[in-house]
Amino acid sequence: MTDDETAPAADTQPISLDLLVILRHPPHGSSWLREGVDVALVAAAFGQAVGLLFQGDGVFALVEGQGAGPLGQKGTHAQLAMLEMYDIERLWVSASALRARGLTLADLALPALALEADEIDHLVHAQPRTLLF
Amino acid sequence: MMLHLLNRSPQFDGIYWDLSEAFGAEDHLLLIEDACYAALPAAAASLAAFGGRVSVLSEDAASRGLLDRLSDGVTVVDMAGFVALTATFPRSLSWF
Repeated sequence: MTDDETAPAADTQPISLDLLVILRHPPHGSSWLREGVDVALVAAAFGQAVGLLFQGDGVFALVEGQGAGPLGQKGTHAQLAMLEMYDIERLWVSASALRARGLTLADLALPALALEADEIDHLVHAQPRTLLF
Repeated sequence: MMLHLLNRSPQFDGIYWDLSEAFGAEDHLLLIEDACYAALPAAAASLAAFGGRVSVLSEDAASRGLLDRLSDGVTVVDMAGFVALTATFPRSLSWF
């Protein structure tokens, strides 16, 4: 961090979590998203302060109205519904990822904060540990 | 200061965009495995967001026949240079 950096949004700068999990994969097509959310839940269960950043197709994880797959595969919507129970309340989404997919915060099943690129930069650099899925 | 490691070819443009969002002013990007293809001049647009702070792993570039074809703006590091980069930057983040 240099002194001449412009002041970031108040929502991103002061937050230093124990763990930031970045989720870049959509639900159903692979197990990346499920594994990332699992890691977040396990860390939270051990008392760690955890936040989630959704980028790219990862924003589809938050879309309202998801269900099981055609063969009964569980999906991740039920897992995400558990986040609040585990005190994982800091959810950020890439604003550009939303825009590129024709989504707004109103399409999401959970309350999240949309971040522009410079805010994502600040968020990621403020964290001591980041895992990417 | 963060070292970003990327192993996907530029045909996965979404990951290049996501990485660029998280890329800070003092960060560095090291292209490994299939990301070496991003170091070709024809793929320069995929690296435009990283301000010239980009290196490519020579062993991976060599195995793909790319060593004589790389963009001038991308520095070439060998395995020892890779280790040195990980020692220089306090944190690393792998994008895959």
